[in-house]
Amino acid sequence: MGTSITSWENVTAYFTFADNPVALVLFSLGVAGIVAGLIHFIVKHEKKAFEHHK
Amino acid sequence: MTTELPYLESLQATLNAQQAAFEMHQAMNIEVFYWWCTAIMVMIHAGFLAYEMGASRSKNALAAGVKNILALAVIIPTFYLFGWWIYNAFPTGIIPVDASAALPWAQSMGPDVKDMGTGIFWAAFALFGATTGSILSGAVIERIRVSAFLMLTIVLGSGIWILAGAWGWHPDGWMLTEFGYHDVGASGVVHAIAGFFTLGVLINLGPRVGKFINGVPQKIQAHNLPMTLIGLMMIIFGFFGFLGGCIIFNGGETGWTTIYNTPTNLSAFAFNTLMGFAGGVIGCYMATRDPFWTMSGGLVGIISVAAGLDLYDPGLAFMIATGVSFIAVGAAKQLEKLGIDDAVGAVSVHGVTGVIAVILVGVFASGTPNMDGNPAISLYGQALCAFVMALLGFASGYLVSYVLKKFDLLRVPANVEDFGLDEVEVLAHPYPENVPAKNTHSTNAITKGA
Repeated sequence: MGTSITSWENVTAYFTFADNPVALVLFSLGVAGIVAGLIHFIVKHEKKAFEHHK
Repeated sequence: MTTELPYLESLQATLNAQQAAFEMHQAMNIEVFYWWCTAIMVMIHAGFLAYEMGASRSKNALAAGVKNILALAVIIPTFYLFGWWIYNAFPTGIIPVDASAALPWAQSMGPDVKDMGTGIFWAAFALFGATTGSILSGAVIERIRVSAFLMLTIVLGSGIWILAGAWGWHPDGWMLTEFGYHDVGASGVVHAIAGFFTLGVLINLGPRVGKFINGVPQKIQAHNLPMTLIGLMMIIFGFFGFLGGCIIFNGGETGWTTIYNTPTNLSAFAFNTLMGFAGGVIGCYMATRDPFWTMSGGLVGIISVAAGLDLYDPGLAFMIATGVSFIAVGAAKQLEKLGIDDAVGAVSVHGVTGVIAVILVGVFASGTPNMDGNPAISLYGQALCAFVMALLGFASGYLVSYVLKKFDLLRVPANVEDFGLDEVEVLAHPYPENVPAKNTHSTNAITKGA
């Protein structure tokens, strides 16, 4: 469903959703969200771990 | 005549087909070259991993390693999101130019049959960025919060160094177009930036507990010096990928050029990389007779000649590396006297050496012409740009770490530092046979809590 091509003739960018800028922006936001989520997760983990060892 | 024309047309068609096949294979060779440079660069990170874990005390060994692994994992996606765009958008200074093709939603930022360059160059540059993160990582071991380190490493590895790269490496970079800046092996844009960023962070982070007693520096022993030495040698191996990634493999008749489009080849890089390595090892051994510094000398040596890797006589490269090693060791001692606890000497090995390396190109290769109408190499231009690199790195590292410190997010609490980060944060032990069985319970409790 995400393919951007219907034929291999004169194909250029062929990755999923290559012809859908909205989807590509959403994927980028997803990447940013996962990185931010990782740091948030680690901050929470540190807080709990530090409290546990007070 | 009637039979010759079809024959010539057929010959032309054959030639065209051969030309197309040749160009495709040339483009594929370019991709293959940078693919393997990137793969070899991963060894830099394997080396930093071993080096930092070995340099830590055993109570912090895994925390140092996890921090380093995560650095690679956050720099790659953030470099995809904005690092590559920064390189293409800021060559002229701090006002961005149009670089929409480098945004993460551009078609060239994904599998594209017609684009055999963007992905492979992005990958090499992402690994350069990850190297800056690893340079920071070693210096701050045993007391920085992982979360703070990751925020700092994103700023450095996907932001600051590549801004310097845009200024000093991009064909339109203002350092090149205004001052003829020459730094083919990234002594300035990677090592000086990362080293001085690290200094800014270290000032706010402070020394490890026990490093200074009544102001007198103490030696905190690495728990596994052999692992550290092997890690350093792995970094040297990775440098061949790093420096290979710094040369431009051109299509057509041009052949190899530097990133400044001046002629060079891998032979030039080979002579001076190896002579720099050897000179650095000898210099640091003579200056310290310390195993850690002897091996670090290999890094000092290569970094000291990397900026002029294409220009130096190998004998000169050897002497530069030997001489700069004494300066790097002296700088490390001075920093320690000033109360800076740089656990692995990153500020002097990368920062001080990187700055000196850039300036030395101006000393020894001043007047060497550039291409495309850019000014010739000059001592003034090299010195000015080296100063800008150091300032950019230091100011950004100091400011971001200062903000983190103000929010109490920079450093682990003193009791945690005393306890050991592995026990508190990592949920695993590097050498479990030395840990009493009762500790397993507390580890599980945190796992559930997390």
